[in-house]
Amino acid sequence: MQQQEIHNFLVKYFTANQCDILENTGSYLTVQLTIELDKELMNRPFYWHYLEKTGGVPNPMKLTLISDPKKTPDDIKGEVIHFGSPRLHQIFNSSKNLAGYIRLYEDHQASMGQQVPLRPWLGMNVKISYQCDRKRDVFRSIGLQLINGQIIENFHEELIKLQLARKIPDYSFTLSPLIMPNSGVTRIQNMIRSNVLEEDHTWANEARERWSKDLRLLEHFYEDVEEKGESYENEKRALKEQYEPKVQISIINGGIFYLSENAI
Amino acid sequence: MTVEIEFDSTWQEGLVEKISNDGPWGNFELYKLAVEVEKHTVIDNFEGLQAPKHLPQLTPLPHQLEVAKQVVENMNGKAILADEVGLGKTIEAGLILKEYMIRGLVKKVLILVPASLVTQWSYELTSKFYIPAVSQRKSYVWEQCDVVVSSIDTAKRAPHREIILSQDYDLIIIDEAHKLKNNKTKNYEFVQSLKKKFCLLLTATPIQNRIGEIFNLVSLLKPGHLGNESVFNEKYKKDSRDINDNEHLKELVNKVMIRNRRADTGIEWTKRQVETIPIELTKEEQDLYDSVTELRSEGDWTTTSAFSVMTLQREACSSREAVFFTLKNMLEKKENPSKEYQDQITYLIEKVNAVHTNSKAVKALELIQKVNDKVIIFTEYRATQLYLQWFLKQNGISSVPFRGGFKRGKKDWMRQLFENNVQVLIATEAGGEGINLQFCNHIINFDLPWNPMRLEQRIGRIHRLGQEKDVMIYNFATKGTVEEHVLKLLHEKINLFEKVIGDLDDILTRLEFGSFEDHLSDIFGNSTSEGEMRIKMDNLASMIQFAEEVREGDYHAATGNS
Repeated sequence: MQQQEIHNFLVKYFTANQCDILENTGSYLTVQLTIELDKELMNRPFYWHYLEKTGGVPNPMKLTLISDPKKTPDDIKGEVIHFGSPRLHQIFNSSKNLAGYIRLYEDHQASMGQQVPLRPWLGMNVKISYQCDRKRDVFRSIGLQLINGQIIENFHEELIKLQLARKIPDYSFTLSPLIMPNSGVTRIQNMIRSNVLEEDHTWANEARERWSKDLRLLEHFYEDVEEKGESYENEKRALKEQYEPKVQISIINGGIFYLSENAI
Repeated sequence: MTVEIEFDSTWQEGLVEKISNDGPWGNFELYKLAVEVEKHTVIDNFEGLQAPKHLPQLTPLPHQLEVAKQVVENMNGKAILADEVGLGKTIEAGLILKEYMIRGLVKKVLILVPASLVTQWSYELTSKFYIPAVSQRKSYVWEQCDVVVSSIDTAKRAPHREIILSQDYDLIIIDEAHKLKNNKTKNYEFVQSLKKKFCLLLTATPIQNRIGEIFNLVSLLKPGHLGNESVFNEKYKKDSRDINDNEHLKELVNKVMIRNRRADTGIEWTKRQVETIPIELTKEEQDLYDSVTELRSEGDWTTTSAFSVMTLQREACSSREAVFFTLKNMLEKKENPSKEYQDQITYLIEKVNAVHTNSKAVKALELIQKVNDKVIIFTEYRATQLYLQWFLKQNGISSVPFRGGFKRGKKDWMRQLFENNVQVLIATEAGGEGINLQFCNHIINFDLPWNPMRLEQRIGRIHRLGQEKDVMIYNFATKGTVEEHVLKLLHEKINLFEKVIGDLDDILTRLEFGSFEDHLSDIFGNSTSEGEMRIKMDNLASMIQFAEEVREGDYHAATGNS
């Protein structure tokens, strides 16, 4: 992520959270936090607890984030933000926490008087992590139409091309799903599972080889020892944790989308 | 072969709940941002280092990046980092730790370092690597904090020990790991029983020469890598002392150990400039030194070891205060002292009282004023340290003391005062290890330790990565005393001061001829004449030179092969 991208990301994040942007020069950003965001980011539970007990006037903080220190005047005091900074990662996590689930309706521009049926989709953005003593991730966005069971990839990419609204637009009605969202999730899960199983797992086999090699060494080390004791068991468990290949699938976010017939 | 697949089911449960409660639903802008973030943070490759991208303010040196890559990609996260002193092992360890944390392979970390380095480690990890490392101060941190820095001595004691042993660590880093060379010690046993997925052992001491020690260290990291104890002893130990003697063993060790030499890194190091400053003793000082020296030939003193006479001689070269302190102790500790004994001491104390100036201190003052920059004075004696502090104060120069016995907080404080407020730091020997003072480039060796390694450590405090200026070393040598001889040996015969850090240890280890100090004691204590002393000194010097040549030969052969 480049500095400019980070800056734009921050502007979007604070705007989406209804914070007033007090200053935005492109190289730094000063925002007036809302009470919610102060609680989310500033880590001062005692202040908020005290305030709630005493009934004082809440005074959420202002936050200045600097994305380009060279172009920022010296008298501007703030946190320098870059891709590795803890503050940015805190905001990353917060954006995930705050929008884990969503429900949206396509804001189609159908002509007046015509009732448009909207079909339910289940969308899921997932991260698939292949982990042994090393790790790599794959991002997938999958959509499942909850009436006919159609599944598409890159669902998120398609979504962001559409006009979407939080409320059902006029002259629209939603069709009821034939597949319940809960079993929809299971369907997607099963699909990912079988995709993963079909993949080439050389990495896993290699990890298992490394594992069994170290295990053989360990056995050899304790060969002559009668009471192998706790450290032997510890080492053995640690090797399992170190090498055991596994695939972890986590869901970043997702939700229910009501889309017109030809939307996707 | 199938792979275990874990599916996070919490999201599914949440969805069902949101649907049945009809919300609340998230904001689409944030939803999109979360996806954007994820796309930026997924790492689609097992190989390669992510850490540098996250650390724009840090510019690791090429050899440091290479080490990090090696450890993660080829050594499965278990390694002995054995670079020579001052090549930045902390940076290497930090890079590896950061890499694992970014990739989500490591969360719970224990870092065991010498007590004097605890604060520095947590400061560097926090400031350079944005890793929230916590110095252990309260016993609850073990459970509550993910990255904890502590001294091994604290960690192995109750109540900490039990808590630590019940934690599952993803990564354990141990600095100065060569201290774990003996598998019979409590520390070794403690580290062995820790549960660790990945492990880094840091050491600057070239342990590759000591075959039994390397076995213990490697077994801590990867039990069985060098076989079990009986097989190992059978196979290697009986017929060789040096790992280089056995190609197979060398290869095995290199699988778990990385050692960069300074010469290999291509980094330009600042020079060391050594100046010997001869000190002319005053008549009274010379008289005190001579009186102490004469003790050896006098009757009643034969019962006193040559060692204490020599100590007094060396102290007489440092300060009258140091001599007085020892004399006082000798009188107090002797059971039923004879009249002669008491008289002798009293006589010497009179000699002490006759001394009114300290020629070395006067010279030091002059030098400090001339240098007009930060200076570290090293002395072997507490009494000298106290005296110097007083003496400099009388002359308007503020200083701070530094001793090994200081608590961690006090050490940090003294270092900080020295960096920001005062011109001079006066350290005794134990202060030599575990403190980095590269913002200073002048050292005065007020008196000399007889152990060359300690001298190396003194210089190593300031001559390290990050030192931008040439390092100035001033050696004070009182004329016509043992000190002059020792300095000549160290400086002129074995070129100690020009040596690269780490080399000397390597050489002395190879020599395996016992402690350098004992040799010096023998030379000065048992020589009956000047001539004998000179010959013995020359012998010692040639032994060291010989070891050095052998080592050079080995080293060239080794690099020639690779």
